[in-house]
Amino acid sequence: MEAYDIGYLSLIACFLLLAIPLFVSHYLKLGLINETVVSVSRMILQLAFVGFFLTVLFDLNNSAVNLLWLLVMILMASHSTINEVGLDLKKLLLPTVVSFIVGNFLILLYFNMFVVDLENLFDARYLIPIFGMFLGNSLRGNIISVSNFYDTIRRNENRYLYSLSLGAKRHEAILPYARKSIKLALKPSIASMSTTGIVALPGMMTGQIIAGSSPILAVKYQMAIMVGIYVSTVMTVAIGIFMTIRSSFDDYGILKKDVFKSTNT
Amino acid sequence: MNSELLKYKDISIRYGEKKVLSHFDLDIKKGDRILLKGRSGAGKSTLLKMPMGFAHQTSGNLYFNNSLLDSNTVWDARKRIAYVSQDLDIYEGSVNEFIEEVFSYSFNEGKLDRTKLRRLLVYLGFEKDVLDMHFEELSGGEKQRIGIIMSVLIGKDIYLLDEVTSSLDSALKEKVANYFLERKDWTLVIISHDDVWEKENVRVVPVGV
Repeated sequence: MEAYDIGYLSLIACFLLLAIPLFVSHYLKLGLINETVVSVSRMILQLAFVGFFLTVLFDLNNSAVNLLWLLVMILMASHSTINEVGLDLKKLLLPTVVSFIVGNFLILLYFNMFVVDLENLFDARYLIPIFGMFLGNSLRGNIISVSNFYDTIRRNENRYLYSLSLGAKRHEAILPYARKSIKLALKPSIASMSTTGIVALPGMMTGQIIAGSSPILAVKYQMAIMVGIYVSTVMTVAIGIFMTIRSSFDDYGILKKDVFKSTNT
Repeated sequence: MNSELLKYKDISIRYGEKKVLSHFDLDIKKGDRILLKGRSGAGKSTLLKMPMGFAHQTSGNLYFNNSLLDSNTVWDARKRIAYVSQDLDIYEGSVNEFIEEVFSYSFNEGKLDRTKLRRLLVYLGFEKDVLDMHFEELSGGEKQRIGIIMSVLIGKDIYLLDEVTSSLDSALKEKVANYFLERKDWTLVIISHDDVWEKENVRVVPVGV
């Protein structure tokens, strides 16, 4: 059983629905017409690009090319983490890349080898979408934890220094802040696991069901994916903090001021 | 030989273009009690932070136990020196949790002396239940006293005290100053506007005049 195709005419029919939000925005003077048009256009362009790109990638299905694409995804995720948080790219790119690689790629290999049991571990059809789901979630987690960590340690600098003066080694002084940030970053993943299936049907599962899989198979995939996402997020977030610490604190154990992009606090 | 524990040699401090302190020298020997005096902004607090590595001179050298203070030796200095600042942002959580955390730090090898803790709490006018209170429930003066007690409990013998009596009433100021000044083998470097510290055997050192 295959999913019904959506023709291009039908797609246009779908976009006609956007008349409703545009009308609402106009009527209530929400001022969202421009934003809506821009973001819908971006969505169309980006997804169209990904559609063509993935078609080429899947047809090619060359392990080296697939891996190269994963690397590009990791670089983009790292860049976006550091940028979002307002840190200095040059100093923190490498540690962030390492955290994404260890947290996501290693888990992905395990996943493809032992859970999905693929013949070709680097099969584009599995490698790229699953990696995308892992990476997207650990990206969100990493942004939360890294930004919270550097933010609180900078805001509470006196308290941090105080613990150094009370006999803490650098890692002992840092640990309470790291712990808090990691917990904060993991909360969304934990919450989404505990509400999944009741509050919302996950997108991947829905997609599989529409594409013709049995609900049981879709559910099994969904369980596996959620565990994978949680594990990769935990690893990325924990490694992310501890890897960046090495380049963002000086030998006196003090946060370097120049890890932040701009000098204004 | 009574050699210097701390030696400030030809220290100058500048913030950007602004000259804060020029060519400051000070030798501190074991058992010295020194009161740094000077107008605000003269660099007193910076001088006190330097042995902990929390602030750095623009030029000149600082020696701790006869070795140049750098990113290696600063950790030895931190093991021996208690630095208590006027900052009251101490901890998030209860006093008990704070004490336990501090005693879990690697550089504090001693065990918490509960009797000493109780004695200090009583001496500084606390009711017993303060241990279960959270820092956000404490007043400035209470936080300041907990900070002082903590620095004493971890058993150091060099104290850098930056306005540690500023939020206390006059009876408590007197008690804190007496407590420190009575311990003859402790080395004290003090910044304070309170005259309770100006006793005999306390050497007043002018900063930035």
